[in-house]
Amino acid sequence: MEARSLATFENVSYLYPGSETFALRDVNLTVLEGEFLGLIGPTGAGKSTLCLAFNGIVPQFFGGRFFGRITVAGLDTVETPISTLARHVGLVFEDPELQLTATSVESEVAFALENLQIPRDEMVRRIAWALDAVGLRGMEMHHPATLSGGEKQRLAIAAMLAVRPRLLVLDEPTAQLDPAGTQQIFALLREINRRFGITVLVASHAAEELAAAADRIALLAAGRLIAVGAPAHIYADLETLHRHHLRAPQVTEVFARLPADNPGFALPTTLAEGQERIRAWVARGVTPPPLPAPFSSDGAEGPTVLALHHVHHVYEDGTPALRDVSVEIHRGDYLLLAGQNGAGKTTLVRHLLHLLEPTAGQVLFRGQDVRALHTGELARHIGYVAQNPDRQLFNATVEEEVSFALRALGMPPAQVEARTEASLAALGLGGLRHRHPFSLARGDRARVVIAAVLAMEPEILIFDEPTTGQDVHGARQILEITRQLHRQGKTVVVISHHLYLLAAYARRIVVLHQGQVVLDAPTRQALHDRQALDAAALVPPQAVALAQEIARLTGVPCPCITPQEVAGYLLRLRPGGAACIAS
Amino acid sequence: MHRFLNAPGTPPRPSLLTRLDFRTKVVIMAVVMAVAVMWENPLLTGALALAVVLVSVLAGLPLVYLKRTLLLMVPFYATLLVTQGFFAGPLITARTGLTPAEFHQIFAFPETWPIIGGAAASWEGVLYAVAVICRTLAVMIIVPLVVLTSDVNTIVVSLARAHVPYKLAFIFASTLRFYPLLLAQIQTIIEAQKLRGVVLERMSPLKRVRVYAHIAVPLILSTLTRAQMLEVALQAKAFSGRSERTYLHTATLQVRDYIVGALALVFLVMAGIAYVVWGVGRFATPFE
Repeated sequence: MEARSLATFENVSYLYPGSETFALRDVNLTVLEGEFLGLIGPTGAGKSTLCLAFNGIVPQFFGGRFFGRITVAGLDTVETPISTLARHVGLVFEDPELQLTATSVESEVAFALENLQIPRDEMVRRIAWALDAVGLRGMEMHHPATLSGGEKQRLAIAAMLAVRPRLLVLDEPTAQLDPAGTQQIFALLREINRRFGITVLVASHAAEELAAAADRIALLAAGRLIAVGAPAHIYADLETLHRHHLRAPQVTEVFARLPADNPGFALPTTLAEGQERIRAWVARGVTPPPLPAPFSSDGAEGPTVLALHHVHHVYEDGTPALRDVSVEIHRGDYLLLAGQNGAGKTTLVRHLLHLLEPTAGQVLFRGQDVRALHTGELARHIGYVAQNPDRQLFNATVEEEVSFALRALGMPPAQVEARTEASLAALGLGGLRHRHPFSLARGDRARVVIAAVLAMEPEILIFDEPTTGQDVHGARQILEITRQLHRQGKTVVVISHHLYLLAAYARRIVVLHQGQVVLDAPTRQALHDRQALDAAALVPPQAVALAQEIARLTGVPCPCITPQEVAGYLLRLRPGGAACIAS
Repeated sequence: MHRFLNAPGTPPRPSLLTRLDFRTKVVIMAVVMAVAVMWENPLLTGALALAVVLVSVLAGLPLVYLKRTLLLMVPFYATLLVTQGFFAGPLITARTGLTPAEFHQIFAFPETWPIIGGAAASWEGVLYAVAVICRTLAVMIIVPLVVLTSDVNTIVVSLARAHVPYKLAFIFASTLRFYPLLLAQIQTIIEAQKLRGVVLERMSPLKRVRVYAHIAVPLILSTLTRAQMLEVALQAKAFSGRSERTYLHTATLQVRDYIVGALALVFLVMAGIAYVVWGVGRFATPFE
């Protein structure tokens, strides 16, 4: 039986007030009843605008110029009040902190129901049902501020689910979650879709999860709908994806590098499909090739510049955040600090910057206890780039922002000018020097913060979740900067749980779990330590999972960590394949 | 990671105050304020302020909060002591009939000094200042005591039952929910400045003020962004601000609410009668 349409966009174009650029342009899209639709697109593609259009917030709340027609459940989204549309469309946003307004879990779920004047008895039943569906039953009286990031998003979903909408729209719901949290949210959405028949639309950069969960994927770029189709169809078109600064799941990237005459035809898009294809490939292979070259360890054996010795930290409310943490960071390291949300990564870094003091233990900078140094003094040696650049910008122009620290340090004007110039040039910001930092795109704002930090010429740079909220293009741009800085001799520490992105950059990985160091090893070794990663609830990149499948089948270790390496390795298994496999 | 002593909007610990309906607590607050405004006697206003502080401590209000409130008010109180000590003469004369010559002098500037020459500080003036300090203290602490010992959900329902427009009740509740986020935001920006090599600890007060001035731009911008995002999230939850809505939580006045409310009102009436008939609470000094 053919699926019925639940929502339709007919020639929809939209401009925000005061804007001359279309946020949406000639969009024609049909969302089918009961389907799981993924929405992908680079930053600024119009994904959020599209999501907000489903319940009439665009254009009813924002105003602007709207063309075309959108209907949801037969209702025109321009003519129907938002409060009526809210009965049919549930909307979940990226930042769980901002969409939770109540002071208890049950009150949060009740809020929309109260607004919709649902009788109290019915409300109680629906709250129990919704919390049960998202696995938060028993936490009714908890304050939302005390929940983890994943739990907060589950709560936001429950709050929408309780309304029993026909369509659930989620805008980047996992952008701030760790891999385990991301997988849990996608599993939950799939279950909601299957079990309750609720149509789900998810805008996300999580290619691996979308490929596994979605029935169809829609690709949006510059406000235009470029393509709609099955994940296998959309993700197989790597050229289109790359043109729009998007990426396919790693498993697809691996097989796209293999010759077209390989066994099987369509490119795999899920790990299970990839592993199946690996089995077919290995079955016809020959002797396993030599191991890929490990990362060189140059730089990692320099003198210790930062050290934590048996550091414990307990917050005022009694929560233990760090437990007997001992880590040494050497000059020239490129260290990835990984771990789940709440594992203690940020707490650890705050100790290095003397923004926190250990409850027990010692933190040393070049052998000196950091307690003897002010944060401002340490900052001249340790540059810190926060996750959200907007919280580190406080000047009226890019130039003033970059020179702020130099002026605060009382440097002579000539030196201030020289360093500012050098820093602006290094980050390609010369042409933007007179712009207000907040008038720039997010990626550029991040570069302004990096330039401002670099102007102090610190020997150590710490990047806190630099790839969060960025599309793959923006993320790689920032990581390339970290690579250049590392090549210039800087010590680089990156906090991230995007292991798939950092695999090609980091030389060493330290994994924290519940405030303890559970893994400290060179990148290749760390990514293949499945046991430790599992214990820390981290998900290795798909390339690593494929390499481990190859190793299982051949009986020979296969320490590949990137799609390029895995593809090269598979080619070597093939008679007459390429000889070089590791970069 | 920012942590709160108590999750915002939830009462510190169970007590009689947390069990009372918000409306009853508003009555208590109104009575304390009315009495604080009526009384000018330093002994009685002191006792009132002390009682409010004691109840706050017993109700589990964080001591650090009380300490901060006092520290914040120190400049104001110091100014009051000095100004009232020197210049409360006409006020005291009006209340006690004493002439300035009869005041108990603490200190006087030499007659030969320009402008302030001959000005004298009196014990009566200082006592008047103490009374004012105690009144403001009682009023300043009773408000957070009432708010922080109430659950935001029940505050909203109580206000709705008292026919306060829902939109106002919601704004009040949201302020309680989001003010810690605003404080955290300010803290983050100050940290960001420290991380740019600013050593606040070694700066002159003037330079420090200049650095703090830089907080305004990111704070306002991020607050506006957050406010808009919050409004969008509320729209998505069918929020309209109209009072026509249902409530999950209930707010029913219990026997204890009537008893406590009645006692508070009786206290107010008695204090009023005592003030008018016997002058209890009027300004007086131990020297009379």
